[in-house]
Formats: sequence, structure tokens, C-alpha cells
Amino acid sequence: MDTLTQPKITRSHPLAGAAMTGADMIVQVLADEGVDTIFGYSGGAILPTYDAVFRYNEDHRRNGAEPMPLIVPANEQGAGFMAAGYARASGRVGVVIVTSGPGATNCVTPVRDCMADSIPIVVICGQVSTGAIGSDAFQEAPVTAIMGSVAKHVFLVTDPTRLEATMRTAFDIARTGRPGPVVVDVPKDVQNWKGTFRGESHLPIAGYRQRQVEVESNVLTEARCQQFFSMLAESKRPLIYAGGGVINGNASAALRSLANTYKIPVASTLMGLGGFDTKHPLSLHMLGMHGSASTNYAVDDCDLLIAIGARFDDRVAGAPLKFAPKAKRVVHFDIDPSEIHKVKHADWHHVGLLPNALDALVAYGRRTGFNAAFDDWHTEIEQLKATYGLNYDRASTLIQPQYVMEEMNRITKGEAIITSGVGQHQMWAAQYCDFREPRQWLTSGSMGTMGFGLPAAIGAQFACRNKLVIDVDGDASIRMNLGEMETVTTYGLPIKIMVLNNFGDGMVMQWQRLFFKGRLASSDKSLRKKDFVKAAQADGFAFAKRLEAKADVPRVVEEFLSFKGPAFLEVVIDPEAGVYPMVGPGLSYHEMITGDFIPNRYANLGKPPPPNSSGF
Amino acid sequence: MVGSRAPGFQIMRHIISILLQNEAGALARVANLFSSRGYNIESLNVAPTADATVSRLTLVTTGENPIIEQITKQLSKLVDVVEIADMTSADHIERELALFKLRVVNGDGGKLTSVLEQFDARVLSDTQDQYTVQIVGGSQEIDRFLKRVAGITDIITLVRSGAMAVSRGASVLERG
Repeated sequence: MDTLTQPKITRSHPLAGAAMTGADMIVQVLADEGVDTIFGYSGGAILPTYDAVFRYNEDHRRNGAEPMPLIVPANEQGAGFMAAGYARASGRVGVVIVTSGPGATNCVTPVRDCMADSIPIVVICGQVSTGAIGSDAFQEAPVTAIMGSVAKHVFLVTDPTRLEATMRTAFDIARTGRPGPVVVDVPKDVQNWKGTFRGESHLPIAGYRQRQVEVESNVLTEARCQQFFSMLAESKRPLIYAGGGVINGNASAALRSLANTYKIPVASTLMGLGGFDTKHPLSLHMLGMHGSASTNYAVDDCDLLIAIGARFDDRVAGAPLKFAPKAKRVVHFDIDPSEIHKVKHADWHHVGLLPNALDALVAYGRRTGFNAAFDDWHTEIEQLKATYGLNYDRASTLIQPQYVMEEMNRITKGEAIITSGVGQHQMWAAQYCDFREPRQWLTSGSMGTMGFGLPAAIGAQFACRNKLVIDVDGDASIRMNLGEMETVTTYGLPIKIMVLNNFGDGMVMQWQRLFFKGRLASSDKSLRKKDFVKAAQADGFAFAKRLEAKADVPRVVEEFLSFKGPAFLEVVIDPEAGVYPMVGPGLSYHEMITGDFIPNRYANLGKPPPPNSSGF
Repeated sequence: MVGSRAPGFQIMRHIISILLQNEAGALARVANLFSSRGYNIESLNVAPTADATVSRLTLVTTGENPIIEQITKQLSKLVDVVEIADMTSADHIERELALFKLRVVNGDGGKLTSVLEQFDARVLSDTQDQYTVQIVGGSQEIDRFLKRVAGITDIITLVRSGAMAVSRGASVLERG
């Protein structure tokens, strides 16, 4: 092993040489990693580790408080999304501990969700004892096989002397490079094994570490900076397309500096919101399938597209060849080499750490006195914003969801942490809320997992105890993990849960109206019996209200958000309200539908596109 | 899915050599990557190396160049992958081993024997009505042999190792 791939050990561990069980080693590594919250649900095969967590907390109380509280959800999927919410809000690795079999399989959805959105979590699963693996034992599931397809990596610990190193390596892999979920499958006998704690070992994973070093040491040279600036100098209409990588890569400050220095407008993806202050004059807020028409038109018009930590997802570039059609050059910065040219060919690209690359550009530009004015472009964008900005049916007597979002945003000033489920409410929240900083908008972007919002809000509140955390949810999404309502009150979390109730799967109904002649197959839930307010009361919410009159919106939203403690608000919204603009699946921005309340630059294309159900 | 890009790429056959750490599920993760991303595997050969902690996989796949680029990049993201090389991107030697059981028909006029000789195939065992034959060569050579033999007699069983390859000359794919 050469020194390049061997992590540095700076000091010896105070417990090095101590005799410990495998379970105690797991917990000690968690403590060493700075874990302050664990999310999980117990069961037979993980009992030794649960006992070790219990004992650790008893022995290390600080001012009476547990240093590593174990937060128990209603279902392991909840634990997974809590850890994801914790990781998204804090930037630290979220930790889940669950039992074998169903405990592990209930985590498959959050693990895949974290993979798809590049969120670092470590999931520790109990497994049946080594000797019983493969015997169809009670609560046995092939975790390596299942998780191997969805996680960044999965370890099955069969050699207990490698447990400690495996645990540390799991954290290394979760947070380095493009972050992601790592699963550690630990048979019960490995947890019960007794051995000597070393306090310093890591697995070699030579190939991974080598590739990591290559990516991280890939700096932008003077010559490469010069190429970038020659492209920028030729450009009249440059546009930054910023994705979730800006947030995951902690590149927000560097992006702000680059955009500010050269006055380049920034359009964010759904995942990138907050990576660039949405209230900044250079912000174009969100692009894509439900991005602002003004932003999408700006993408259509730009002559230099600078993609930063973004991956030309089909919700942004449904028709890759027609995406940014006037861009003479596409520039792509990412940490993952496989994203370069995957969907859209990049004329110039850089694979490396984003803050280093963006800082290098700013420094080079300053040194060489680069100067460019894009005044005409800014004027054009101001006109686009003034003409094609977001709008909705403001005259309606029914409560429009966009109005509720505007009222909420007026109060939170873009400073709250907002989580969401998946569907129309997710898009309205994304469109109408401001996000001044990274890690304020937590949403299941790639996987699109309904039920994400409530457990993610719980995890976020544990990560950021003093921040206002709001779950903007839908009536169908919140049903998916409704059991976690009780978790909110059990732990006394001051989370604000707002359900925009349109009595159905709103986004599905919108697509059915557009593409399936209005046949609402299984999506209409108006005959369902649930009384959400009573349900919230039953779970111990002292604030549980239903908002049905438009005139009451400002007052009730204010009361709801200022309530000291867990609060639940159901808002009965116009069931026909749609999310606009909308770029149909597989279509270009030229074919964007803008609805009845936003003008369309290509007036002839204001009507819905033909059915295209194969384009998902 | 690797999608819309300028047309004009040809579908090519590639031999990809991978050094893989011997960890639980490592081989399955390589195979899963191909199935979950819709890539082809034409053959897959796995065997130990001089280093007991590492196995070598030789994988034959087909695709347009952008697809092959994605395959190698996605494989490089697997934590267990130590090294990877597209052997077909440079001068290389390719070999495959095939074992055939052939029906021997009296009176083929020595046609079978002459094909066996021509392809340097060895008869490993013979009974009254069957030959077990070994042939070593490039995969396309084995395909040609197969075609010739099939025109003469019945092939009862065919076992192929899948292609293996080494680069020609000094460069090696070894654990660094």
C-alpha cells in the first residue's frame, strides 16, 4: 500500500487496544465520526448493537442528555428518509440502524432515493448469523444483492476483524466524491464477537481511493482557465445551469463569486435551489419541466451554457439535442466523470472539486483583468422575467396553492427549511418559495418518492434544532408515511406540516387531463374518508387546523408558522389547480405549455402537446 | 439510458478487462450494472489472479462508442473495481477456449478431420460415435470453426470460455 491511498492517522485512539464486542466497535466508530443522531428501528438481528447504543448513551450523558439519541420511526422507510433529511440539511452523513430482513428491505427506497440525489447516509443492517446466511432463516434477506443494485456500495461483514475498518470506510465512501448511501450488513455473530479495538484502521479500497485522488487533485490549469475565458469573451449571452452538485460539493460561495464577478445569470435545477440565493438579482430561479417560462426562454436564448454540478436530467433536458439550442458551446463542471457526455455532449469540461475549479476561474479572471459586460443580455432577461414570470388564477374564489406558497414565503423570507412530498405541491413550493442558502430545500428530486417530506422534515429538525422546518406536503404524499406524524409529537419537534389537499394524486390527475383525455384512473381520492385534522389531533398535535376560506389564508398561515411546537395545517385548495409552466415529457422548451395565466412566447404552441405517454 | 446524440457511431465489439476485489457481491454488482443500465454482455470470464484478493474479469460487450465510454465510466464507479481497461482500444492478443462434443458420422470423407486440422483443434477423447474437441483461438475464429463443423456434422455440446485478452507489448493491467 502506498502512502497516497492510505488515510492519514494523526493520533492514536484513546481506546486503542481495548477489548470490545463488534457491536461496541460499531458504536465507537459512530462516536468517532461525530454522529449525534441515529435513526432506526430495532429487531432480533440488530439487538446487540441497539444494546451497545443504549449503554454508550448511558455512559456518556452530557448534562443529562444522550450524546447519540436513537430516533425511532413508525417504519424503517421513515428512518431512512429522516437520515436523508438530516444529511441534506446538515451536509453530514446520516445514520440508520435497522434489523435484518424487513428492516433492511424497508430501507431500499430511501437508499435508492439517496443514491439518485447523491445524499450521504450509512445504513447499518443486522443480518442473521454467518452460519445461517443462505438457509432462508427467520428475517433473512439477501441485503448485498438487493442493496448492491441501489447503493453506492454495500459491505457484508463476514470477518469480524474487519468490522471496525469497514465501518470507517463506509463513512469515507458515503461522503467522498459524488456522495451516496453505503450499506453495512452485519451478521449477529459479528456484533457479538469480542476482539481488540484498533482505533485507526480503514479498508484499502485501492481502486476507489486512487480514482478519488485523481479527481480531487485535478486542478484547473492556467491554460484551461484561459480556454474558459476565451469562450466567455466570445459569448454575448452566457448562462449558468446550476445543479445539486453545487450544494453537495459546498460550492455555493464559489458559484456566487463567479456569477457576481462576471455578472452571469444563474438558473437552478430542482436539486440546485438554494445553491444560489434565489433572491439575488442574477438568479433565474428554476429551469426545467416546471421551471419559470422566463428561465426556460433564457435557456433557449443563451449562447454559452455553463453546467455546474448538473446532469441534464430528463426533467431539465427532456429533448437533449434541443436543450439550449442556440448555445454555441456547452461547458460542464462535475465531480463524476460519468456525467460528462452522458446525456449532452460537452464542448469543454472539467472533472474535479467544484469550489477549487470555480475559485481558480475567478482568480485567473482577476489576475488577467478579464472584463465583459453582458448588459444587453441582462436587459433581455429582465424583459423575459417581466413578461413570462410565474402567475396563476389570482381572481379565483377557491384557494390557489400558489397563493398559499406566496403567503408562506412572505413570512419565512426564504429562510426556512422546506421539505416536500412529490407531485404538484412539490412543484408549487419549488416555484414560489425562495431559498437564500443551500440545504434549505429538501426534496426527492430524482427518485420522486412520495412520502419523503414528513420524515425528511424530522431528520432536518434534528440536524438544525433552532431552524424553522416546514413540510409542504400533499394529501396523497403524506398518507405514504402518515405514521411519522406521531414521531413528530413524540419527540416534541416544532415542525410545521402543511398539507395542500386537492383530494387526489394531483400531478397524476394533471397528466391524465393532458394526456389521457381526463380519465382519472385511481387518482381521484375525493371519496376517501380521512379527516386529516382529527388524525393530527389523535397524534397529539396541539395546533391542527383546516383552512378552507381564501380570506383566511394570510392570518391562518401566520398563526400556523408562529405556533411554538408541532403544528398541522390542512389547506383545501382548488382541486383543478395545475402546475404551469409545463414542458411535456421528451419535449423541448419551445413546446412548453404556459397555461391560462402566463403568456407564451410561441403563441401557436400554447395548447397541450399530443398524448405521449411513452415519454414518461 | 444513454440517449440523444448525433448519429453516426458504429456498434463495435469491445473486450473490457477488469481487476475486481474479491468481496461479497462484487461480481453481482458488475453484472447488475449491465442489466440495470441496459448494456449487453456477450461473454464474461472470471478467474483468480496471482493476488488472492483480486480476480480478473474479461467481459465482451457491444455498443456505440458513447455507450462503451459510459460502460467504462460506470464500471469505474464501482468501489470493488481496482483497474479497468478497454483492451480493444489498443493492440492486444485475444484468445478463447472452446470444447465441442461432435457426432462422428461414418463416411464424411475425412471432411471433419480436415477441418479439425485446419483450425488446429485437438481431439481430447473419442468414442465410436463422438469426438470431444478442444480449440483455442480468437472468438471470431471459433465462430468460423463452429460454422464449418455445423455444415459437416451435429454439435452435441458446446462449451466456450468467453474471450480473454492481454495487451501486446509492455503495458500491463495489474494492481498498482
